[in-house]
Amino acid sequence: MSTREIISSGNDLAALAAVDSGCQFFSGYPITPSSEIMHTISDLLPEAGGTAIQMEDEIAGVAAAIGASMSGVRAMTATSGPGISLKAENLGLAQMAEVPLVVVNVMRGGPSTGLPTRVSQGDVAQAKNPSHGDYKSITLCAGNLAECYTETVRAFNLADRFMQPVFVLLDETLGHMHAKANIPTVEEVKAGIKPRKTFDGPAKEYFPYGVAQDEAAVLNPMFQGYRYHFTGLHHDKNGFPTEEIETCRKLIDRLFRKVDEHKDELESNEEYMLEDAEILLIGYGSASLAIKEAVNVLREEGIKAGMFRPITLWPSPEKRLHEFGQKFDKVLTVELNMGQYLEEVQRCMGRLDIEKLIKVNGRPFSPADIISKVKEL
Amino acid sequence: MSRIVMRFTGVGGQGVLLAGEIFAEAKINLGGYGVKTATYTSQVRGGPTVVDIQLDDKEIFYPYAIDGQIDFMLSVANVSYNLFKNGVAEGGTIVVDQNLVHPTDEDRKKWNIVEIPIITIAKEEVGNVITQSVVALAIANNFTNAIDKEVLKEVMLSKVPKKVHEANIKAYELGYKYSEEAKQK
Repeated sequence: MSTREIISSGNDLAALAAVDSGCQFFSGYPITPSSEIMHTISDLLPEAGGTAIQMEDEIAGVAAAIGASMSGVRAMTATSGPGISLKAENLGLAQMAEVPLVVVNVMRGGPSTGLPTRVSQGDVAQAKNPSHGDYKSITLCAGNLAECYTETVRAFNLADRFMQPVFVLLDETLGHMHAKANIPTVEEVKAGIKPRKTFDGPAKEYFPYGVAQDEAAVLNPMFQGYRYHFTGLHHDKNGFPTEEIETCRKLIDRLFRKVDEHKDELESNEEYMLEDAEILLIGYGSASLAIKEAVNVLREEGIKAGMFRPITLWPSPEKRLHEFGQKFDKVLTVELNMGQYLEEVQRCMGRLDIEKLIKVNGRPFSPADIISKVKEL
Repeated sequence: MSRIVMRFTGVGGQGVLLAGEIFAEAKINLGGYGVKTATYTSQVRGGPTVVDIQLDDKEIFYPYAIDGQIDFMLSVANVSYNLFKNGVAEGGTIVVDQNLVHPTDEDRKKWNIVEIPIITIAKEEVGNVITQSVVALAIANNFTNAIDKEVLKEVMLSKVPKKVHEANIKAYELGYKYSEEAKQK
């Protein structure tokens, strides 16, 4: 892979990634700690022939992006947890109607307005089910500066592949930290763009939602000769509302299966010093930076710790976690929340005796926090 | 080079962020690693702000300075000085603007406290208060010997608008001059 070195912040890298991925539309509403994404993309997008709009509120911020995406272009919005709460209804619409969209959430302390300028990983559970009803979330979580770029790039391709919103989770630390990142070249990113499927047969034979039970809808751009109905109600293969028993069952079943049966295309993890490890630490996002430093120090002291870091948080790496649950006696989850992913780890491992290290005061973990917890195990 | 850890503290709006970015970029340009993080409150102007800078030849994973490992701190606001001074290693250097920051006698025993009227220099000698961050940059570099003086100056100039280059060069040189004098004391 050919790379380039950039000195930047996580928020600016997410904005750059969007533009390099061919994003043509951004709409949002400024909110700490994500605002720099909108500032930067407002500069970059018009130069790239696209449009960036500051809307009147968070709800309009996601609604406009959904509209843009329906016209066939790649679209993004960015916010923080309180913004996701406001966008939830429209995110559900995008799940139900199968509209691809990239949603960046730079996490800060919650609930409610919480701690605006402080770091948190409190939106991991929210990302799984921000809106009511049954659907499958796809959530990617950057764990370093370079991934603020590469995961945003991946999110655009996955959104078009699976025809649904894809979350990219950053957090205040990653969004604002400023350092060196080695990221793929623009040419490399452009070569990797996989546009969404379109139908080019006779209009009479076009059924956007009439696809196989493990496939995503095929939504042609609106106003280009192919007509279909668009709704949040249960709908038939044309998109028209229906209460027909089997059609309703199959629709929701398909929203699950289009993701579940293609998990191999989604899974992405980092395994750090795990080969000979005796203690397994599980963490993601900026917490993993402290974990890595802690693992290095522990190893210097002869304690064989290693880290497993899911990059795709939802769907979770079930099989890998299950294997680790059988291999490691001592497992510690490290999260800047009350243990939102711990529950998933317990489920996948089929064990309840998982240790946890948590912090919910808006401050980051220090490596020392983790080192002393590991020594207690 | 072993790791150099610096901390700049002030209040929101004083522009301490820029100095951190300049240090990180200069170190990266030289082939090393530099990380800047900033912590601030939701108060837009006047809230305590801390900027951590780490420079190393080896990769830096954890982006924040670890309390007790900070070699050098510079402070231009009393509230942030008191909040963050304890991160500085014993015997470390703390540069304060004596018109704004008031260290205790105990502080003076614990750390090498150096007084330089940073804001006054920027305001009266350079004639532009915004250049305080460049005065601070030069002072920090003179005390830590983190980056070659000219290399750091070039990076600094690439980060400020052309029309204020002259003022910032003046601020940079004054930072060196005052910190050199303070060292002699």
